[in-house]
Amino acid sequence: MKYEVVMGLEVHVELSTNSKLFCACSSKFGAEPNENVCPACLGMPGMPAVTNKRAIELGIAAGLVTNSEITKTISFDKKNYFYPDLPTGYQVTQLFAPICKNGWVEIETEKGKKKITLSQIHIEADAGKLVHDNRTDTSLIDYNRASVPLIEIVSNPDFRSAEEVVAYLEKLRQLLSFANVSDCKMQEGSMRCDVNISVMEKGATEYGVRTEIKNMNSLKAIAAAINYEAQRQIDALETASEELVQETRRWDDSKGQTFSMRQKEDATDYRYFPNTELMPISIEDKWIEEVRANLPEAAHDRFLRLTEKLGLSEYDSNIITGSKNLSDIFDKTMEYFSKPKEVANWIIVELLSIAKGDNKGEDDVKIDCKKFAKLMELVDSKVINRNVGKDLLSLVLTEDIDPEKYVEENKLGMISDTDMIDKVVQEVLVEFSKSVEEYKEGNQKVFGFLVGQTMRKLGGKANPQLINSLLKKHLS
Amino acid sequence: MDYFIIDYNVEGQNTLALEDSIMQKGRPITAGSKMLDNFIAPINATVVDKLSNEYKIAGKTVMDEFGIPSFFSGESDEISGAIKAVVDNAVSFSLCNDVFGKYRKQAADNKLCYIHPTYGTVSRYGLVPVASSMDQIGIVCKDMREGFKLLSLIAGNDEKDGAMFSEKSYSYDNNEQDLTLAIPDSVIRMADKNVQDAIGDFAKNFKTTSLDLEHFNVYKQVMYILSCAEISNNISRYDGVNFGYRTSNYTNIDELYTNSRTEGFGYHAKLTAIMGTMVLTENNYKTYYDKAMKLRRLIKDGVSFEGYDIIVLPCDIGKDPYDNLSLYSLANLAGLPSVSFSYKGQGIQLIANVRKESSLLTAWEVCMK
Repeated sequence: MKYEVVMGLEVHVELSTNSKLFCACSSKFGAEPNENVCPACLGMPGMPAVTNKRAIELGIAAGLVTNSEITKTISFDKKNYFYPDLPTGYQVTQLFAPICKNGWVEIETEKGKKKITLSQIHIEADAGKLVHDNRTDTSLIDYNRASVPLIEIVSNPDFRSAEEVVAYLEKLRQLLSFANVSDCKMQEGSMRCDVNISVMEKGATEYGVRTEIKNMNSLKAIAAAINYEAQRQIDALETASEELVQETRRWDDSKGQTFSMRQKEDATDYRYFPNTELMPISIEDKWIEEVRANLPEAAHDRFLRLTEKLGLSEYDSNIITGSKNLSDIFDKTMEYFSKPKEVANWIIVELLSIAKGDNKGEDDVKIDCKKFAKLMELVDSKVINRNVGKDLLSLVLTEDIDPEKYVEENKLGMISDTDMIDKVVQEVLVEFSKSVEEYKEGNQKVFGFLVGQTMRKLGGKANPQLINSLLKKHLS
Repeated sequence: MDYFIIDYNVEGQNTLALEDSIMQKGRPITAGSKMLDNFIAPINATVVDKLSNEYKIAGKTVMDEFGIPSFFSGESDEISGAIKAVVDNAVSFSLCNDVFGKYRKQAADNKLCYIHPTYGTVSRYGLVPVASSMDQIGIVCKDMREGFKLLSLIAGNDEKDGAMFSEKSYSYDNNEQDLTLAIPDSVIRMADKNVQDAIGDFAKNFKTTSLDLEHFNVYKQVMYILSCAEISNNISRYDGVNFGYRTSNYTNIDELYTNSRTEGFGYHAKLTAIMGTMVLTENNYKTYYDKAMKLRRLIKDGVSFEGYDIIVLPCDIGKDPYDNLSLYSLANLAGLPSVSFSYKGQGIQLIANVRKESSLLTAWEVCMK
């Protein structure tokens, strides 16, 4: 290909603090509209800002996991613009002394490893959310998100393909979620990404005209938007069908196209200036070391622990440490039931398939790990068989049952009485004599059918190994 | 004139007026602006909570819109409600936020005292901001000692204000010995002969040294640029969207903004917003705002309080109130405590180092014996 795509990313990540950046309101996602608001985050006068120390710590943590320099004395600035979701008329951000500078993140694509360099990370307050009500043609404002702390991670223009961008975002998600900086959920808006993109002829030294793409809320959408926009720019250069201008473009997922939002010429003058309501904050080395010491185990370290110490396969370990949530479920469950292969197996095969059926991702599965461990133990100690265990898992997830009690109350204990099973096996062999003949003629598949029929007659509770061996004995 | 915008009809000892920028929960608060015509304070200001046991609030005093003085646009000032209420014995004290020196001057003119505490020692939670880096609740009183008693009740760290010193409380005692007064001769020479004489007489009670206020000639410009910038930012929250005045005349968001502000803001607020916006635009930032910030640093560093405890200044150096702004800028730009009062019929202002209010009280007592 004659052209090269050049991209830089601005990634916004909501920090996982309990409260907002400058007031005590909860910053949790999913509350009723305008439930988490107070006079301060509604922009009313007379509410001096008080900085949430936890947000600064998470900013430091973000810097540590991205190999950034942490700024010694940070300050906050005001960015002025008017929009109804911004109740104060200005956003608090960091222009002059951002918390982190000069970091880097290593990514891996099919083409190998690559370092993406970061120019800075800064902390800022989020805005609210506008919802348009088409029935009444009015705009409604939800201020729950107003003043929730964010970090913006600004990369240098190091990206050359959509694959690199996706790999970077996945890597950031992993680094930041394992460090408890953010849950990084794109679909809930706690991770958002703007892409600055231009194309140039291969080997050129000057970048082409740049556009900024916004409004992508999944990795798939980001890759699609990049590919669309790169092609649009190349077509424009090749055919001179349109003149490229520096502008912001919005990705329309349903149409699969980007559309011009506004051109930079009439961009707002944000009138940045220092926020004098907040004293500069000095970040001593001691504080940085405290944050470093309290960083949770990173994904890669967990991977090594799983493969080297616990003897899990790389494949399984990759799945488990691919998500902070799964990895936490694994560790927590191991506290109650310490057979790593069993736990990994139950998570990857059973838990994830149920989650998938419920349209939930790895990050959204929630389970009581103690109960999860209990049901594994019941299967492992042959109190119940594995199929009953699977049913129990569904019930733990949906009805939060106590597995042990449930087994007792519903008499689900595994039947391991050889005489009883043998009797049923013999009944089945008579009842399905046709299948027996097929089996003897060499149709091995019928065996499973006969196991199933026996299990069915025993209410699904029998020891499957016993059924197997008894059936084999009679059929041989 | 009526000094109260709201009169609670309270009489007796220990009564207090609040400038209508200090919030009482559930009560209207306007900060002098139509923009807050319908606004009910959602909280009690910390100072209100701290005083509620010992003082009764008698009313809210009328004020310039968002504290912006009319001399910003060349008009002369009327006497403030907070001063008049004390002059007329309606209350014993007024609390107000004096950014531009209006209250400090008028207190001295009317033989009252004004205590302007160190920036960051009195909570601004519940104070409608004027210029955040200079806002400080102060006290109009008849007797400096009584004023300081009140100050000791309201001063001290409040976790709801992020720009405060950490001390939980302060006591203001007359325990400073051998105070040295710094006399900025070139400034004092700008005042009337009577004022110069009064200051000379006042200074006889102390050791003195002369002081060169190096950037005095640009104090008022620095003050004007920085305060306009901060005010324009602070009043940008009044947009008619989720509280305060909203125009009834709009069909889209731009009209809602423009018409609410056109109808809701007064002349001085509009002018100040425009000036503040101008000095912060990308093209002007370095020329105006950034330069003023650098000067502010120099002004602050220019008063070291090494070899002296108190700077003495007049309260009036000319007919134009804008000239007088220079006299009051030092305390606000450098976050210093000051008192102003009448001595032998002339207004005098004393400024001390941060959290050195006690020396101001001491100096006042030495001369008022």
